[in-house]
Amino acid sequence: MGDLAANLSLGFATALTLQNLGLCFLGCLVGTLIGVLPGVGPIATIAMLLPLTFKVDPTGALIMLAGIYYGAQYGGSTTAILVNIPGEATSVVTVLDGHEMAKQGRAGVALGIAAIGSFIAGTAATLVIAALGAPLTRLALLFGPAEYFSLMVLGLAFAVVLARGSVLKAVAMIVLGLLLSTVGTDLETGEERLTFGLADLSDGIDFAVLAMGVFGFAEVLRNLESPETRDVVRGKLGRLLPSLDDFKRCLWPIARGTGLGAALGILPGNGAVLGPFAAYTLEKRIAREPQRFGRGAIEGVAGPESANNAGAQTAFIPLLTLGIPPNAVMALMVGAMTIHGVIPGPQVMTKNPGLFWGMIASMWIGNLVLLIINLPLIGLWVRLLKVPYRLMFPAILLFCCIGIYSINNNPADVLLTAFFGFSGYLLYKFGFEPAPLLLGFVLGRLLEEKLRQALVLSRGSFAAFVERPLSAALLAVALVTLVVAVLPAVRKSREEAFQE
Amino acid sequence: MKSVVIAIAAALGLASAAVAQPYPSRPITVIVPFAAGGPTDVVARIVGEHMSKTLGQQVIVENVAGAGGTTGITRGAGSAPDGYTIMMGHMGTHGAAPALYPKLKYDPTKDFAPIGLAAGTPILIVAKKDFPAKDLKEFIAYLKANGSKVNEAHAGVGSVSFTTCTMLNAMLGVKPTLVAYRGTGPSLNDLVGGQVDFMCDQIVNLTEQIKAGAIKAYAIATPERSPALPDLPTTKEAGLPDYQVSAWNALFAPKGTPKEVVAKLNDALVKALDDEATRKRLHDLGGVIPDKAGRTPQYLQTFVESEVARWTPILKAAGATAN
Amino acid sequence: MQGEEAGASRVRAPQDVAAGLFLVAIAALGLWQGAELSAGSLGQVGPGMLPRALAALTGLCGAVLVMQAFASPGARLARWPLRGPLFILGAAVAFGLTVRPLGLAVAGPLVVLIGAMASRETRWIEAVVFAAVMTALCVGLFKFALGLPIPVAPWAIGY
Repeated sequence: MGDLAANLSLGFATALTLQNLGLCFLGCLVGTLIGVLPGVGPIATIAMLLPLTFKVDPTGALIMLAGIYYGAQYGGSTTAILVNIPGEATSVVTVLDGHEMAKQGRAGVALGIAAIGSFIAGTAATLVIAALGAPLTRLALLFGPAEYFSLMVLGLAFAVVLARGSVLKAVAMIVLGLLLSTVGTDLETGEERLTFGLADLSDGIDFAVLAMGVFGFAEVLRNLESPETRDVVRGKLGRLLPSLDDFKRCLWPIARGTGLGAALGILPGNGAVLGPFAAYTLEKRIAREPQRFGRGAIEGVAGPESANNAGAQTAFIPLLTLGIPPNAVMALMVGAMTIHGVIPGPQVMTKNPGLFWGMIASMWIGNLVLLIINLPLIGLWVRLLKVPYRLMFPAILLFCCIGIYSINNNPADVLLTAFFGFSGYLLYKFGFEPAPLLLGFVLGRLLEEKLRQALVLSRGSFAAFVERPLSAALLAVALVTLVVAVLPAVRKSREEAFQE
Repeated sequence: MKSVVIAIAAALGLASAAVAQPYPSRPITVIVPFAAGGPTDVVARIVGEHMSKTLGQQVIVENVAGAGGTTGITRGAGSAPDGYTIMMGHMGTHGAAPALYPKLKYDPTKDFAPIGLAAGTPILIVAKKDFPAKDLKEFIAYLKANGSKVNEAHAGVGSVSFTTCTMLNAMLGVKPTLVAYRGTGPSLNDLVGGQVDFMCDQIVNLTEQIKAGAIKAYAIATPERSPALPDLPTTKEAGLPDYQVSAWNALFAPKGTPKEVVAKLNDALVKALDDEATRKRLHDLGGVIPDKAGRTPQYLQTFVESEVARWTPILKAAGATAN
Repeated sequence: MQGEEAGASRVRAPQDVAAGLFLVAIAALGLWQGAELSAGSLGQVGPGMLPRALAALTGLCGAVLVMQAFASPGARLARWPLRGPLFILGAAVAFGLTVRPLGLAVAGPLVVLIGAMASRETRWIEAVVFAAVMTALCVGLFKFALGLPIPVAPWAIGY
């Protein structure tokens, strides 16, 4: 314990220098402002802003980059709530209730609880990293392909629970999302699959392209068609911050979300993406009135947003302790570190303690800074909603196009997004929800990769999934989740049939 | 009337050529055909930063990832040969690509004006912590005895870890079971976790893990030991002298770029490779900087031709294609 | 089940029928494209196995949806105005086609103006001014402040 205190004080001493504080602030601010732009997600933001950090020393540069990362995450949540456009996989869950709240005039409350929840989660996660970072990594290494596969199956079960309307349609969307995730080059043989011969599809469909199309463009199309529903958003302004009552309601969801997000974020291999889904499912399951979810339940924003932020922080653990980046954003961080001469690895903690603990301390400071920056900004964003839609939607379109182009400097991505925009429009007309589609898509790649790896390692035996205890446990939970989710629907249709 | 217009246009053209701006008069774009943060991207950014100073214009990195790097190179090859768009190619895009991608839209030996080699990253043979072999000789013996029972991880068909291990396996005559991963991170992760047995990859990804004892390294496939890992024997010392591979990176310009422009770029590159600070950063990664003789455009051209000749038969024999 | 005989040929949920048929069409497309891929065996999963299984599953969901449409009441099919999709998606396509050859200076206003045509509320002079301002803003922000390698006007200033 004394060790922890000593390390943290070293960390804070490093992080609280005027220069590093300034860099943290700058990073958070810039990250938020860029992350808010629809179409520009955290990866694009960090890649864009990376060169800005070259002028600074390594510790300062990493602090700034971390600030940009959190800022971009939070900015993405802002866009999700205000405009129904998820910037990356972890914001998909936020759109469900967040945007509904915005439509009810409670955008400020949603944004506020997201900021506060994120801060609390961030504080807790920072303590977890500081105290338990190294031992937790060893735990995470127990996750082999079989365990990951079962985790993804669990994620799919969550995706079913997330559905607002017809379970069948939700399942159909999940399956379709899984199908879309297989487009691209086969992992083992290098053959092209479902690419229709298009070179631009040979690396698969980018998440941002799908999300922008199915959510972003389709949302604009929806709003243009029904001006009445759209005006409701701008009619009521409501309160700008959550009330004490709101806050009391969300205390437990925030705590639960933090726990789930922190635990899943440690798993190297992008386990963090499941955090928000798990949190949402949990809240919906244990809520006294689950039908509120999907219609503006504040717990549906508090829980996932906390999970989101906790996961984003603990995702640094595999990076800082093992030197292995768990996802694309962290891989970018590795590159940034390498450019600055710090090669991340198991020995950074011991060889470069100032850097390691400084980063951890600045994580917490970054969260605080984000809270301070964003609470006042909420008023600005909400007022932005009053801009006449006839001007807002072309601006959204422009930002989306630039954002999509910036991912890979490939104009074909923009064309592909337009195609998905049309598909999103069709889905809407047919009464399908887009969120399960994205969830299936996100889970699909990992699911297939881990399934095939596990089968290769077990030489074709499916028993491996149930023989390994962790994997079996996860599958069991998935089964239970599914049964519990589907049972009410089955019972309802049987009741209907009986009434006839 | 039309002839008057043509005459005026021609005169204007000549005039602008006469008062042509000296190269470079605006920022130069380096296309890196991989995602930001990877080894090639890092080398490009480090070298590019110094080149900006020599050339007096910003060198901007543009990441165009896809299809094992060939998407970015294809775009670069088709750019205007005016020296404002160049690319950082590497062993995969300019050595192994013709064999791996039958529908490749460029020829590495013909469609480029080579500028010069930048830093390369040596390849290491590494295995999980408790793999039953103390050194390279035992490792080879184990592989030969256990064939497909041994699990080899790679970062995807067309990746450096795939092609370099394919060469190793061909050389040893073994056929381990291949486990494919999406990228270096996940594959390294499972190696550290002990889920797979071995892998061949660039030093920059592995140094810290080896130093911390999370994985075992058997040899480095370069003629000399690396300062980043001075205790690691070379393949020559460890008993496999023919296995000499490194993931080299080099700058290319599109075919037809004027010789003076290429010379200026080469000069800037060489200056960057001579600069103390840049060298230190590259060495910290484990990078190998080519010597004076290896820095000319002519050397690069011959080198590319020899690489293509080396990789093509091996990869074709292994039946590997990435479409 | 007396209500069923009359209802058997009456579609009670037209939206679901369309939805189901849409899914079946996608499934068919997927199965057609994935036809040449080898499925391998369960022990040695090939590239084709998952795509084909998922496509089949999609089709199944579609079929069940269609059948359900005859059994239980559901939503009607909404109207399909084409003006919105045409111009919004057209704007994106225009951007994609012009951003590299003509740069953001051209692609930006195109997106704003073509997109604006999708709404009946557009006021033209306002839209043109807005297009110019937004484009200038984006160029300043993305190209100069952030250093994004996006072409501005290659036909005029070369980058």
